Formats: sequence, structure tokens, C-alpha cells
Amino acid sequence: MKEHIEKVKKEIESADLQDEESLEAFRLHYLSRKGVVQSLLATIGSLPEEQRATAGKQLNLLKKIANDRFNDAKSLLNEGNKSRVQSASEDITIPVQPAWTGSFHPLTQTLEEMKQIFLRLGFDISDGPEVEDDFHNFTALNFPPEHPARDMQDTFFIRKSERKEEEDLVLRTHTSPVQIRLMKETRPPVRSVMPGRVFRNEAVTAKSYFQFNQMEGLSVGENISMGELIETLVMFARMMYGSSVQYRVRPSFFPFTEPSLEMDVWWGPTKGGQWLEILGAGMVDPNVFEAVGYDPEKVSGFAFGMGVDRIAMLRYGINDIRVLYENDVRFLNQFPG
Amino acid sequence: MKISYNWLKQYIDTDLSPEEVANRLTLLGLEVEGSEPFGNGMDGVVVGEILEVNSHPNADKLKLCRVDLGDHEVQIVCGADNVRSGQKVPVATTGSVLPVPGPDGKRFNIRKTKLRGELSEGMICAEDELNLGDDHSGIMVLDKEYKAGTQLSDALQIKPDTVFEIALTPNRPDASCHVGVARDLAAWLDRKIKHPYPEEPDPAVKQDLQLPVTIHDRSQCHRYVARIIRNVTVGPSPHWLRNRLRSIGLRPINNVVDVTNYVLHELGQPLHAFDLDLLSGPAIDVRSLSNEITFRTLDKVERNVPAGTLFICDSEKPVAIAGIMGGLNSEVSDGTRTVLLESAWFHPPSIRKTSKKLALQTDSSYRFERGVDPELTHKAAARAAELIAELSGGELLPEYTDCHPVKPPRNQVQLRPQKLNGLLGTSLETVEISDLLNRLDIPSGIVNGGVIQSEIPGFRPDISREADLIEEVGRLYDYNRIPKPTSTPFFTPGELSGKEIFKERIRTFSARLGYKEIATDSLLSRDEASLFSDEEQQIHTLNPVSAEATTLRTTLAAGFLKSVQYNVNRNANRLKFFEIGHAFRKKMNKGTWIDGIEEHTWLLFGLWGDRKEEDWRGGPEPFTIFDLKQDIESLIHLIGLSDKTERVTENRDCILYKLNGKTFARIEVMAPKLSNKYDLERPVMIAETDLDVIIESSLLPGSRRFTPVPKFPSFSYDAAFIVDNDINSGELTECIQEHAGSILQNIEVFDIYEGDNLGRGKKSVAFRLTFLDRVKTLNIKDVEPEVNRVVKALKSKFGARLRS
Repeated sequence: MKEHIEKVKKEIESADLQDEESLEAFRLHYLSRKGVVQSLLATIGSLPEEQRATAGKQLNLLKKIANDRFNDAKSLLNEGNKSRVQSASEDITIPVQPAWTGSFHPLTQTLEEMKQIFLRLGFDISDGPEVEDDFHNFTALNFPPEHPARDMQDTFFIRKSERKEEEDLVLRTHTSPVQIRLMKETRPPVRSVMPGRVFRNEAVTAKSYFQFNQMEGLSVGENISMGELIETLVMFARMMYGSSVQYRVRPSFFPFTEPSLEMDVWWGPTKGGQWLEILGAGMVDPNVFEAVGYDPEKVSGFAFGMGVDRIAMLRYGINDIRVLYENDVRFLNQFPG
Repeated sequence: MKISYNWLKQYIDTDLSPEEVANRLTLLGLEVEGSEPFGNGMDGVVVGEILEVNSHPNADKLKLCRVDLGDHEVQIVCGADNVRSGQKVPVATTGSVLPVPGPDGKRFNIRKTKLRGELSEGMICAEDELNLGDDHSGIMVLDKEYKAGTQLSDALQIKPDTVFEIALTPNRPDASCHVGVARDLAAWLDRKIKHPYPEEPDPAVKQDLQLPVTIHDRSQCHRYVARIIRNVTVGPSPHWLRNRLRSIGLRPINNVVDVTNYVLHELGQPLHAFDLDLLSGPAIDVRSLSNEITFRTLDKVERNVPAGTLFICDSEKPVAIAGIMGGLNSEVSDGTRTVLLESAWFHPPSIRKTSKKLALQTDSSYRFERGVDPELTHKAAARAAELIAELSGGELLPEYTDCHPVKPPRNQVQLRPQKLNGLLGTSLETVEISDLLNRLDIPSGIVNGGVIQSEIPGFRPDISREADLIEEVGRLYDYNRIPKPTSTPFFTPGELSGKEIFKERIRTFSARLGYKEIATDSLLSRDEASLFSDEEQQIHTLNPVSAEATTLRTTLAAGFLKSVQYNVNRNANRLKFFEIGHAFRKKMNKGTWIDGIEEHTWLLFGLWGDRKEEDWRGGPEPFTIFDLKQDIESLIHLIGLSDKTERVTENRDCILYKLNGKTFARIEVMAPKLSNKYDLERPVMIAETDLDVIIESSLLPGSRRFTPVPKFPSFSYDAAFIVDNDINSGELTECIQEHAGSILQNIEVFDIYEGDNLGRGKKSVAFRLTFLDRVKTLNIKDVEPEVNRVVKALKSKFGARLRS
């Protein structure tokens, strides 16, 4: 018996356990229920009484050796297997793409930033139709009858009457008509911004498109001054372009404001950069107040307007307006926010 | 509009550099968009005399020129057609650098070189290559008088200059000339400008030209001044004049026409010179012609001029289109001996209308249609007439005609200092304000009550109200100097409009569902629009920019399909887009905003391609209508309308969602005949929701109320029913809902099976019914009675058999 145990012990110690197959063969041969070790243990009862204790000890030792041998070989094998996988589902190195996610159009993202700034400055948000009548788009805004914007060359007409221009319908050329609607509906104070799509009769090129987006703002009340207008614009410029932004205002002309101004910000390096116009603004013209039934002697106000497309293009370095309306997924993916 | 720095300095003493002038003009409201050098970089460009012109042995289009440069002769290869021996020409000698950058942005170095095998030492230049004009039709030919070898800038007496491009706003006709721009600058510098024109003519001089002037249409012509210069010799203008014109991009013509152009750009008064000997009468009639006529203008173009146009006529025929352009029939030419000079004031709308009808804008019409100074008419005529006489050796008749039938008085406008300070946010003293206006040549004084009274001069037709004067003071003071307000008025921000909040919630939610936002065209081609709507619903623009964009979209679907097509052509395989935007339809009754037009805000969801792309885990999984159905249900849940919404199956590819009988959304698989128009073979699924219809009924986030979460687990029961193939899952679901008790929480179809073992025309639909009781944990005994009721109901209504 003792010799036999010794022999098995040597076999166990010298067994080649380099791979899964031999390991499994080892387990079946020595450690399974009908395996060598178990069979030997089963023979103890048939041994003479005095040998049983010793044989039992030796066999338990043998069992432990076999178990240790098996476990050591198994963990060694597993360690070696870490960089080698058994199936595709275990291969964490398989490359994957970023997930398809919902997102906002870059124009919406830019507009959202602008809206948030003006909400902080106490403005609310108004809207109106894209098809407008002559009164809201031109007449109430102090456009003289012969103004070039009333030309077929500049403005899309839906209806044009030969005699009565008040019957004309246009695709709104700016969001200013929303100012008129707002003032007609409410009494001062009024403080609101009006974002929206506007139209100009322009060919589609890298620099122009027949539609684009604007955001205008209006603040009307008692004693509202140009000083407040300029300070409001400066606050906007700082929040939009950073507190170190360099800016200037200069006189300009719009039919619906008097005085009128435009704001430029410095774009690019100190040397080699340039002034870029970012918005137009001014004090609401008395004629506009009269058109909506406000008394220009009692209230004053300011208005401003800016192009969302232009600001988005500057912001993201887009040099062709057409990409904004092509909706190429490879373009949209660049703006996951 | 071009303004020369050197020219400007004729009227104002200033040390400001061109950069400083440009900056200040911009801050005064005359925006300088760009500055270009003129007459610079001419070192090494000399006068050369062409001694001989021979053909190039190796090139038909090139010539070999032997050129005398004063101290030596060189051979130059030249390609211009107009090169002749004996000409004096500008030559850029070897070593010089051309002043104008080439297409590559670099200035060209002149080197000794071989062109097609022949030596060329220098370059004979065209005008534009020397930045002296736009002409590139041939080499520039100089007067014979210059000596070969003279520096060109000396010969032409050119001084380096800077020319500003000013973007003039329509309210500032006064600044459309050098004196006008100088006036603004002088106001800033608090200096007086040097006016180039003589004082008002001596009233003692008898207005007795032997030339009757009659204004028939006084509403269109308020004033007409005529001067006559006799015995003129028409020839080239002196250098100073030619350089002035060249600097602002005009071509010198002769000493009569050049003066009229010069004075136009000096004073802003358009002038016209006639050859008096070609006028019948001689007489001048200003009249509107009642017929359409053809008329040959100075640019040699025969034009059809519509009836009603204002003309200048002699006693027999029209000789000029008033304010626009003169006629070829009375043009000043080399042989002209007597010049009739016209200076007039025409009604701006009349000139604008004519200019538009003829599609002809000239330097003259540009100024008349914005409004010229009616007080300047005679001064400008005198200034130009004296110059013409001086430069042409002619004799200016002291008599003149000043026909001035309409003479409106100057506007008087009052300005209240407190109104100004209130509007601008300044605290200027009354005298300061009055002083600023006087500096702008707007005579102003303080009258009773501390109010400022201003008399508006003729050159400022734009000023008629207090607000206009406030602007003048503000811009001269400089808007950048207006102090920051020390206290901010208190605003009570209004409630954000429900529509705005709603739209933004929908937008955010759409992105959360995994849709990417797109922005598509509001205008479609007529054909495209007709794919989605009937002609009577469509709204067209009267003046489309192109056939691609004529009709307002009646649905956002067209834009989506176009975007899908664009991306599919670029090998995209998954598209999940949303858009929020306006769509337009004609309406018989009252519209949304404008009568007859329904303009609603729509939400579009669109799906195309694979929800999951093919990868190592398995093949692609295409989007199905159920993806869209799920998203619409999520949206309806978001706005709290799940229970109120009626879902109507329109057909096997379309479901309508209704609220109080009104459809607010539809989902559908686009008909292949429609998607095929966009070359899309795979199915396209869209959901369109009319946000205007649901906004009122939607649950606002603030009105949501908490329902306690059930403490007990739910109990699921699976049951499959065998029914006829043509019975819809939807019908079965409704029946289950109706007959199971209130503890039924959810119904899900987890399997549909068709097989021969079920019998022909049969299918098995497997439901998972989830039950929940708020007060206890359910077990099979609680659920069985409910299930039995359902089984019975399905059996009697649909002949459904429970599958064991």
C-alpha cells in the first residue's frame, strides 16, 4: 500500500499540467469521485486494523498534494490566459464608436447662450409670425414708402398690391415686427427679446442665404437712456465673448431708431485683428411709438438686433453659411452639446 | 464711396494721420470700411520712350520694344496691343517692385529676364499695375511732353495718398463728398473748413443769360442754374485734377467733364456740361415727357425711357435724362467751343424711380435720390464754371440764370436740453449742446426757457425733429463717452411665456430621446411642395430667388427627406433627426396671425436606416415604426396627455393621435412613391406634431403632482391567445383593458407566432399582464378571476382560444 501511494504521489508531482486539457484529464484521473485518490480512500476499510490510521494519514496528504497541484496549475494557467481570450465577448480591446446621441443644432446652441444672457438681464422672450403684413414689417417701423427694403429685389413678397401697400404680405425681413406686436398688446414697461427666422431675397452662396436667424431686443419704460442701452450691450458682449473683450460703439442708421448705433468687437490678435460688427441698436424712434399708440413724451426705449447665424459662424469658425442648412451628420456631430 | 486723405486736407488743417482720420470718421458715423494707398511704391518707375517695336521671333502675341530710359536704352518684351513706337510710357525698371500685389498677394519684383528666349529688362505698365486706375486694356500712354528718364511720380506730380472706402448710411447725403466729410472732421476738431466756393453771387449782376430756362414740372425740379463759358479749348486736364480723379477711381476725360466730376466729389452737387452749339434754340425746358421714348445716353447706350420721366430738353428735343445722365446728342467733345453748365435740384423720389426703372445708377443719381443741398446749386455752378474757364482758357459770362420756383424755408427745430440728457444719459450744459450743433454748421442758439433753437441748413435734409438733433449732438460728443449709468432702474421681469417654456421643453426632450436637431429650408421648390400638399393650400413668393425656393413649406417632412438624401449620398447608415419650425397653409377663415394663413409651429421626428449598425455582435437592426411609436408615446407622457389622447389607426402604415377629436400628431411610414422621389429605397418614418394644437392642453411642469410609489411588488401573468390572423393586437389589448379590473397595470405583447400547428389563418398573440394592488402583495389567487374574465371576453368577442 505504502509503495503504491508513493508511486501515485510521484505521478502527481510530475504530471504535465500546461494546458486546460491536461488539467481536466488530471482532475478526472485523480480528483473526481471515481478518481485514483477517492478509490484509494475507499480501500482503507479493507486494510488490517493497525495499518488503517497510517494509510489514512498518507492518503489525506496525497489528496491535499493532488488538490494543491491542481489549484496551483489552474491559477498559473489562468494568469497566462489573461491576455488571451477565449471568445469575442471577452475581448475588451475591440474598438467601438461614440454612441449616437441627441443634440441641438449649433444655431440653437448659440441662440440658447444668447437667450440665457438676456434672461439674466431681466428680458423675457416673445415671438411672432414669419409671414408678416406691411404694417408690422415696414410702416410701423418708420420705413418710408420708397425705402429700398420694400423693393422686390430685397424682400420676398407673398402678396403685393399696386396701390395699397398696407395689403402687402412679406416674409419678415427682421424680427422687429414682433416688437410692434408686443407693444400693441401690452403697456410699458416692456422688456423682451425676440428670436426667430427671417428672410431676404438673396441667392444661396457661401456668404448669403435666403433665410437666417435674428435676435432682437426691446426695452421701453420711463427714462430709459442710451447710457443704459450701451451698458446693456457691453454686458452682453462681456458675457458672450469674455470679460476682456474690446468693443466700441459708433453712429449708424436704421429707420426705426434715432439715434442709432452699431457695436463692434475686436476680433483676433491685438495686431493683425480687426473690428467686427456684431449688432445694431438705437433709441426707439418717436414715429414707432406713435404707430403703436405710446406717447414718446412719456416713454423712451431702446432696441437692438443681431444675427444668430453670423455670431455662430464667428464662434465656431464656420466660413460657409450653407453648412448650417445642409444638416450633414458629420457636421452635426461636431456639436454634441 | 471713396474719399482721398490728401484731398480732404485741402479743406481742413489737421495733423491727424490717415489712420487717425479713418478711426475718427468711423466714430462720427462715417464708417471707414477700408483704406487703400494711392500713388505709392513708384520708386524705379520712370518715363520711357519707345524707339522701335519689332515682332517677337518666338511668340505671335509678344513684341520686342527698344526703349529709351534717358541715360540708357533697354529691350523690353511687351504683350500689349496698343504699344507703338514714339509713345512715352511708364516703365518699371529692373530692381523696382510694382505697387500692387498680384493674385498671390505678393508684390512683383522686376528683374532682368528672358521671355520666350528674348531678353527683357523692365516692364511697360498698364494703369492698374501702377495703382493709378482700373484700366488694364493696354499699357498706359503718357503725354509726349515728358522727358525720358523722369521719375513717373515727378512727371505726373503724384503724391502718395490714402483713399478711404466709406459705407455711407442713407441719412447722410451731406457727407457724399469731400467737403461734407471735412465738415464732420472739422466739427470734431472744432475748426472751420475752408470752403472752396465763392460767396453768393453779386445780386447786382443782371440775371440775363441769352438763354431762357423753363421749368414745367416744378414739383420735380425746384431749381435750375445755368452758366455759359465761351471760347473754351477742350483738352486734357492738368495733373493735379487728373490725380484727384484717379485717386477715387475715376478716369480723367477732358478739362470740362473732369471739372464737373471733380466738383461733384468736392461739393456733392451733380453737374452737367452741354455743348451749347448743339442745343436748338438755344433754350432749356425741364419737363416730363408723356410718351415712352428711346434716348441715347453719354455711355452710347440706346435706352427705352418710360413715359413720365423728367427730361432736360432744348427747344426741339430731349438732351439729358434729368439727374441721371446726359445725352450723346449734346456731348462735350474736343471740338466744343461753348459750354452750358447745368446745376439743378431734382426731387429725390422722382430720380430714384427713374434710376430704378432704367436700372442705371450714376454718381449723379446716387446723390439726387438721397437729396442734395438746394442752397448749393448756384455756388457749385459758380465754382465749376470758374474752374472750367481757368483750365480751358475760356471766358465765363458774368450773367447767369437761376430759375428757383420752389424755395422752401429752412426748418426750425427746437431741442430741450433735459430731453437730450434724458435720452442720451448725459449731463451736458445747454451751451455745450448749442456749441456742438454750431460746430456742425447747424446754426443754433438758446431761446426762452433754455430751449435750443436750430435752423437746419439745406445740406441736412435728414434733420426735421428733436430726435434728429439729439443724434447729431450724441455722435459728435461720441457715444463711447456716454457715462455708464450709476443706478439701474428696477425691472420686474415678466413671466416667461408658456409657449416659450413649452417649446424649449419639447426641444430638450427630443434631444433626450436621441434625436439630432436639424435646420431645413422654409422655402421649397414648387414640385417638392406639391408632393406634400395640394396647390390650393400652398403659399408662394411672388419673387422667388430661384426655382428651388418658391413655396413656403406646408410640412417639415420635405426638409427632413432632403437632409436624409444628402446624408445617404454620403454613406450615412443611421439618421435620427428632429426639427421644430413653422409651416404654412392657406386658410379660408381667420389665420393664426395673418388672415388667411395658418402658421403653426411643428415638431418633426424622423428615422431612417439602422437603429443598430452591423458589428461583431451581430447584424444591423433597422428602425421600425415601433421606435417612432414609442417616442411619440414618451412625448405624450411628458406633456401629460396619455389618458386624453385618442389613437386612431388610419391605415397599416399610419396612426393619428387626437385630442378632443382634433388630430395633433401622426406617425407614418412614408409611401415608397414619396421616398423614391428622394432616391431613398429603405423606409423612412416620420412623426409630425402640431405644437400649437397641444400647447394649451399640455401639463406644465409646475402642475405635476406626486402619487405615492406602491409599496408592494407587481405580479405578472403570461397568457397566449390563438385568434384569426386579421385580428389586431390593438383590438385585443383594448378588450383586455376593458375587462380586467383596476389592478391591471400594464399590457405587453411579448410574442406573436404563426405556425401550421395552430391551424390555417390563425396566430398566437402572447400577452404579459402586470397586476398591482396598492394595499397588498398579489398572488395567483388574486389574479386568476381577472384573467378568467379576460379569457371569457376575448373568446366571445374574437373567438380567441387560450393556448396552453
